[in-house]
Amino acid sequence: MKKRYLIILIVLGLLLLTTIEAQKKLFPDVTITAFCDAGHNALPFEWYAPEFEKVGIKIKLITAPFANVYEKLKTEFVAGTGAYDVIVFFPLYLGEFAGMGYLKPLDEYAKKYNPRMDDVAKAFAKLYCYYGGKLYTLPYDGDVLSLYYRKDLFNNPEEKAKFKALYKRELRPPVTWDELIDVAKFFTRKKGEKLAGKVLTEDFYGYAFIAQRGSFAYAWWLAEFASRGGRYFDENMKPMINSPAGVTALQRIVDVMPYCPPDVLSYGYEELKDALILGRIAMCLQWPCNWKKGNDPAQSKIVGNVGITHVPGIIKDGKLVFRAPMPCGRVLAVSASSRNPEAAYYVAKVLSYDKSLADVSTPKTGLDPFRISHFNNPKAFAEFAPESEAKEYLSALRKNLTYGYPDLNLPGSAEYIDVLEIYLGKAYTKEMTPKAALDAAAAEWEKITERLGRANQIKIYKDLLQSWKEAGILE
Amino acid sequence: MKEESLNVIVGKKRFARWMTLPPVLILVALVVGPLGFLLYSSFFDWTLTIPAPPKFVWFKNYVEVFKDIRFWNAFKNTVLLMILGIITQSILGLILALLLNREFKLKKVAITILALPIMITPVVIGFNWRIIYHEHFGPLNYIIRLLRLGSGASWIADPKLALISIFIVDTWQWTPFVTLILLAGLQSIPRQVYEASNVDGASSWQIFRRVTLPLLRPMFVLVVLFRTIWIFKIFDPVFILTGGGPGTATETLSLYTYINGFKLWRIGYTSTLAVFQLIIMNIVATIFVRKFMRRGSK
Amino acid sequence: MTNEKAYEEFKRRIRRKKIIHWFQNLLLLFFIIVFTFPIYWIFIGAFKQKGEFFHYPPIFFVNHFDFENFQRSFELGGAKGVRDSLIVASLNALFVLILALFAGYGIGRFKYGGPNLSFFVLSLLFAPPIIAVMPLFVIFKNLHLIDTYIALIVSYLLINLPFATWLIKGFVEDLPEEIESAALVDGYTRFRAFWKVTFPLILPGVVVATLFVFVFAWNEFLFALIFTRSSVRTLPVVLTELIGGHGIQWGELSALSLVATIPSILLVIFFQRYLVRGLTFGAIKG
Repeated sequence: MKKRYLIILIVLGLLLLTTIEAQKKLFPDVTITAFCDAGHNALPFEWYAPEFEKVGIKIKLITAPFANVYEKLKTEFVAGTGAYDVIVFFPLYLGEFAGMGYLKPLDEYAKKYNPRMDDVAKAFAKLYCYYGGKLYTLPYDGDVLSLYYRKDLFNNPEEKAKFKALYKRELRPPVTWDELIDVAKFFTRKKGEKLAGKVLTEDFYGYAFIAQRGSFAYAWWLAEFASRGGRYFDENMKPMINSPAGVTALQRIVDVMPYCPPDVLSYGYEELKDALILGRIAMCLQWPCNWKKGNDPAQSKIVGNVGITHVPGIIKDGKLVFRAPMPCGRVLAVSASSRNPEAAYYVAKVLSYDKSLADVSTPKTGLDPFRISHFNNPKAFAEFAPESEAKEYLSALRKNLTYGYPDLNLPGSAEYIDVLEIYLGKAYTKEMTPKAALDAAAAEWEKITERLGRANQIKIYKDLLQSWKEAGILE
Repeated sequence: MKEESLNVIVGKKRFARWMTLPPVLILVALVVGPLGFLLYSSFFDWTLTIPAPPKFVWFKNYVEVFKDIRFWNAFKNTVLLMILGIITQSILGLILALLLNREFKLKKVAITILALPIMITPVVIGFNWRIIYHEHFGPLNYIIRLLRLGSGASWIADPKLALISIFIVDTWQWTPFVTLILLAGLQSIPRQVYEASNVDGASSWQIFRRVTLPLLRPMFVLVVLFRTIWIFKIFDPVFILTGGGPGTATETLSLYTYINGFKLWRIGYTSTLAVFQLIIMNIVATIFVRKFMRRGSK
Repeated sequence: MTNEKAYEEFKRRIRRKKIIHWFQNLLLLFFIIVFTFPIYWIFIGAFKQKGEFFHYPPIFFVNHFDFENFQRSFELGGAKGVRDSLIVASLNALFVLILALFAGYGIGRFKYGGPNLSFFVLSLLFAPPIIAVMPLFVIFKNLHLIDTYIALIVSYLLINLPFATWLIKGFVEDLPEEIESAALVDGYTRFRAFWKVTFPLILPGVVVATLFVFVFAWNEFLFALIFTRSSVRTLPVVLTELIGGHGIQWGELSALSLVATIPSILLVIFFQRYLVRGLTFGAIKG
């Protein structure tokens, strides 16, 4: 009797095993080519390749330099060879890629493999994942700018006393843009002077920003422009970048430059990050990954002193108004010419949901939180920082995202932004006054709009404004 | 020339045709397609960032090129690089060639080492100089500060300097090329020439000016020819080092064409820019043939 | 008395010559340092660890020589880069060599096509490659040749064939026709005369032309950037993939750059004696 039960048990067990095995191989051994910008953000594709193989997907990774992502993708889309299946790109291009039919709508796949879009920060989801009512992308990296500052310097009693004596108010991370200049000036010291009780071995500066064209440099100008109520265009696609708000914002950067490192005009992502975490500047606006790297002893000299808060704003009607630009960011999409769209979507979904917490909380990548489940999980970020700090970090991000200001998402957005950055640069180098530079940029913008078809652009921009309002970004 | 019988002439012609026609046909085939595309599309307003179809616009693109400040800026940058480059590299190259034209130990080694920069991948040169030019961590500024020659410069970010930085990189890579060609020229001058001049009581400087330089003329022609062609089309180092920046300070013609083609996807306009460059270079080629290549059909 | 004076004068002249000689050597050394320094910088960069790149003051000497960067760069696409570059450059050099040899000889010796063909080849030489990229892209796209070896080999033909043809034409033109006529009289066929007599004499030029064609194809970036995706990845493209915006992998980049330079260096070393002669073979007889 016992023997028979044993046999049945064994057979059942084997059956169970085979079904599990069969379930594990969801896909019939396909090769999925993934495209991502080169560097640390492509690492997850390498890390999880073995796991994907278990379900029958072999990952082949192609990368391109950050500044050439647009050309590489656009060239492939125009050629339509199906060389890439799942792609990572910047939401800046969503309007164009979705509008030109290069991406596969993901709604039906989302029904099969739920990406939990309800868990994604509302602003990010609405602005960067949907287009024309359809789901086109899954979030991968939630970028938003925050104000970083050296906690040790701002909390130092000596410095606090000095500041109070000079400016007749408490030393604190600047809450308004006017305050920014004062604080930056205060902390700019020459080699040999004292800073927080120590003698400096090299020059120290108050502030820095990204100026390199093609590295989302315009976001550093956008921060003040947006907080003053600025918009890219009005409803008739007339550029508004040269409004008084825009000119003030640009003038501000020109005014703060004496308190920035002398090589600030060559700053891209790497340089700005190093300036802060290698201890050359007191504060800056930066992406969330700066916090992770600032607290990583392998890369940073300021571990434990990375303060983070909302970006500066302006006082309007007695209330503080600030807007945090959301430049860059990354989303995952499936190419319309992919031969294995479902498998490609599967890869995207795993990276966007299942593995996202691990990816955004490690200093090995530059990926940043974008899910409510991320924000509610400071423990995960405590790998290299005390949980209290992680809490502060996540709440700052959340705050900034709540008052985030999106990238321009129209066809031709790459061109508009490139032109803007060229002219911002001319104002930085004092080749043109801020007003002249922005006027010239606005004139170029008008030309671009004309060339792309004003009527069409107006229509798309109107839809854009609508979705921005729905996301709670604009009043 | 000997008189040739009809048979010989026909045989000659047939052989020539058999030898030359296949490669020439291949070349023509490769050229006809792209050239046709360029000419045809330059008359259309055709952008691939919006779903609109191409629109026939006659010569509108050509007119736009003339009015395009950014085009003239790119043209200016390219011409500046050419003039600066050719003059500097010729002089430097000559000095180096003269230095190498003596007898000394390790001469072969010196020549081999000097030939290296020519062979290195321009992309590699681009990113390598990016590190060297790095304002804070780069060895160049460090050495400048060490030698008290200044406080270092913003080689890539300063719009006034950026083009010079490209020029320096180009000079570093191609002066050895000039040197090698001039060296060959120097080495082909028979000693008797020098000895004869010495006998006539000429000073070194006079020999150099009146004898050496004129004999080197064909080499210089070659040098100017190649440098003109290669600087005009410069792309890789600029793309990697500055991407055309800061602003448009180092935007050369090739880079501007690339941007219009693969960043802005203005196919029609890009073709027009291409036609412009073709015309410019054809004019230059014609001038070259007329003025310098008086020897036979070269 | 005059003998002594003459002797003093002589000694002084010799001393002057020696000083000048040493000064010239010093100047040459200075130039060599300047021209080699960037190459040295890549060399030590290949052995530096991550933190050593952004170090102040810059690190000029390394004392550890591990090959981690090389290994990693090969994993990141370097291996495929070397393979694909070899395939494309070798095949291209081969085709160009054969075609240019024939065309160069035909135009050079027999003036085939007259001045028009000659000018056609010359004007192709002058044309910047960028103008061909978009048209070829559209053509390749329609022929489904994007991301194939053929696309690159064919496009490189367009750039290299005029150059090689023009070089070889020059060498052929400077070879007196009598040499071949003598062979013809001896009963050689025209082809045999070419192969057995002319070809060995223009060999330095042919070697140099092939060398340059190979190096140009090996180093080519623009066409590779636009025409290839994942099936074909030549070294210059793979190198740029290591330039991430959020983190440049300088160590791996330096290591792979060194590897990329090796074939060119080897070619230079082996064909050094041809370089100087071959480059100007045709132009010497002003």
